[in-house]
Amino acid sequence: MNASHHRWLHDQLPQWERDSLVTAENAAMLRHRHPVDDSQPGVAQLIMGALGALLIGAGLIAVIGYNWDDFTRPVRLLFAFLPLLSSQVFSSIVLRKGDSVAAWVRETAAMLQTMATGACIALVSQIYHLGGQWPDFLFAWLLLSLPLVWLLRSTSVAIFYLIAIAEWSIHQCDLGKVWHHSPLIYPLLLLGLFPFWPGLRLDKPLSVTLRWIMAWSAVFGLGAAAYFATQQHFDRSWGHEEVFFALGAFTAAAITLFPLSPNALAAPSRHKPQIVLGFLYLLVFGITNTFLESGDDIVKGYAAAAKMPWAWVLIAAAAMFAFQALRTHRWAVLAVSSITLVPLVGLVFGTNASAAIPWLMTLHLLALGITLIVLEFSGRRGAPRLGAALLSILLIARMCESDLSLLAKGLAFIVIGVAFLIFNMFMGRLKARLTHPQP
Amino acid sequence: MKALPLILFALISLAQWAVPLSQIFRYEQTLSKGTLIRLKCSAPDPYDPLRGRYLAVRPDQDDVAIAKSAKLHRGQHAYATLKTGTDGLTVLDELQAEPPASGDFVRVTVRWESEGKAHIEWPFDRFYLNEALAPEADKWFAESIRGSKGVIAEVRVHHGTAVLENLTFDGKSFREILKQRVN
Repeated sequence: MNASHHRWLHDQLPQWERDSLVTAENAAMLRHRHPVDDSQPGVAQLIMGALGALLIGAGLIAVIGYNWDDFTRPVRLLFAFLPLLSSQVFSSIVLRKGDSVAAWVRETAAMLQTMATGACIALVSQIYHLGGQWPDFLFAWLLLSLPLVWLLRSTSVAIFYLIAIAEWSIHQCDLGKVWHHSPLIYPLLLLGLFPFWPGLRLDKPLSVTLRWIMAWSAVFGLGAAAYFATQQHFDRSWGHEEVFFALGAFTAAAITLFPLSPNALAAPSRHKPQIVLGFLYLLVFGITNTFLESGDDIVKGYAAAAKMPWAWVLIAAAAMFAFQALRTHRWAVLAVSSITLVPLVGLVFGTNASAAIPWLMTLHLLALGITLIVLEFSGRRGAPRLGAALLSILLIARMCESDLSLLAKGLAFIVIGVAFLIFNMFMGRLKARLTHPQP
Repeated sequence: MKALPLILFALISLAQWAVPLSQIFRYEQTLSKGTLIRLKCSAPDPYDPLRGRYLAVRPDQDDVAIAKSAKLHRGQHAYATLKTGTDGLTVLDELQAEPPASGDFVRVTVRWESEGKAHIEWPFDRFYLNEALAPEADKWFAESIRGSKGVIAEVRVHHGTAVLENLTFDGKSFREILKQRVN
C-alpha cells in the first residue's frame, strides 16, 4: 500500500466505524498499522513545486540566452552568480528550519539550486565563448547537484540525477574514451544515490515511481557500458551484436539478482521494476537462443565476452548477488537468471556447441516454465502465469521453426491458446479462493 | 549532529561556486596574458537551447601533421605548436603528445589519425551573439562571405588554453559590423 492508499483508508475509517463494519479498537489498529505521513509531499504538491522551480530555472536560462551585449563582462558574470547565491540562501534557510518546513518547499529549494547551478555554468561558458561538449557540462552539473538529494532529501533532484547519469553514459559511448570518462563508471555514479538503493534500510520507503526511474536509468546506463566495452574490445563501433547481446544477459542477471530486504521481497512485482525488466530481457534472450540458427552467434558472443574485463565484472556481481539470493531462497529469480548459464554448459560440447546450445536452451526453458508453476503449488514463491506463458511461447517458437503444414500449425496455436486461457482462469479462481477462504 | 548537514551544505555551495570560478580564473588569465593568434575560419549561425544564438566558428585548418616522436590515438588530448604564415595568419605546425617546453601551443583533441596526420577538434567552436544580432549575421554571410577575405578568429593562447576573443572581417569587429547593420 502506498501513501495514497493509506490516506484513502483513513478517510474511510470513520464511516466504517459508524456502520459498525469495524470496532473503534480495530480502526485504531488500522490507523497505527497504515499511518499517514504528512511530512511526505503529496504527488500534486511535489509536482507543482518541482515544476515551479523548473520554470524559474528555464526562465533564467532563457534570460541568459538573450546574451546581454551591452553589459561588461563582470556585470554579466554577476548575473550568473546572483541566482545561484539566492538559491543557496533559500536552501540554507530551508535546511536550518529542518522538519518544520513543508516537504514541497524543500523540493522546490533543491530544484531551484540545481537549476541555478546549471545556469551559472552555462552563462560562464557563454561569456567566454567556450564550445564545450554537452556531456562535460552535464557531468559537472549532475555531480554538483547530487549532494542536494542527500541533504534536502529531494525526490525531484534524484530523478534529475538518474536521468542525467543515463543520458551522460549514452553520450560517452564514443570509441577511444578513457575508461574513467566512459559509461563504465555508471555503477559508481549510481552508487551516488546509495541511501536510495533498494534493499537498504531507509527511514522512509522509496516511491514506486522513483524505483521505476532508477531501474530504467540502470538499463540505459549499463546498456551503454556494455556497448562501450564491446566497441573498445574490437576497436570498432559497429558489428559484434552477439557480444553485446551476451553482455546484456549478464547485466540483466545482475540487475535481477540484486539483493532485496525482506520487506521488498514481499512487495508485489510492480514495486520491483529491476526484476520485471531483468526477467523480460532474460526470457527474450532465452527464447531467441532456442532457434537452431542462433547457436553460432551465442557461441561467438560468449567466447568473445570471456576475454572482456567488463564481462567479468558483471559475472562477479551476478555471482555475489546469486549467493545472497540462495541464502534468501529467491528460487524464481535464481531459476530465471540461470538462463545465462546454459551457453556456458553448451560450450562443453566443443565444436558441436553451436548445435547443442539451442536444444539445451529449449530443455532449460521447458524445465524453467514447469518449475515456476510447481513452485507456486508447493507453497513457495513462484510465478505460475509467467511459467505458463513461457511454455506457450516456447511451443509457438518450435512450431514456427518446424516444417509442419499451416493447418497443423494453426490448430496447434489454437490448442495452446485455449490451454493458456484455461490455466489463467484456473489461477484466477485459485487466487480468489486463497484470498477469501470459504467459511 | 545538527551542524553536520549545514557544514556539508556549505561545502557543496562552495563547490558550486568553485567550478565556474576556476573556469573564470583560467580564461581571464588567458585573455590578459595570452598571445594573440589569428585564424581563418567560417562561422554560420546556429542555436543552442541553453546558451542562445551563436556563430559556429570553424577554423579552416583541422588536419595537422603528427610529430615523429609522438604516438597519438583517437580521443586523446594533444598539443599543437603554432607558426605564423606570410599572410600574418596563424597555422598549426605539428601535434605533440606532451606540452612543448617553449613557445605557444594549443591543447586540442584528436578525432582520428591516419598516415601521420590527425584530424583535430579545436577547444572553441562558438562565438555567442546577442539575439537581436544573430539573424543579421545570417543575412550578412549570404551577402558578403563569397569573397576571398573570410572571417578571422582572434584567439588568445596561454599555456595551451585558447579563448576566442573576437571575430573580425576585413579588420573590423564582426559584432560592430552587425550592430551597424541593425541600427
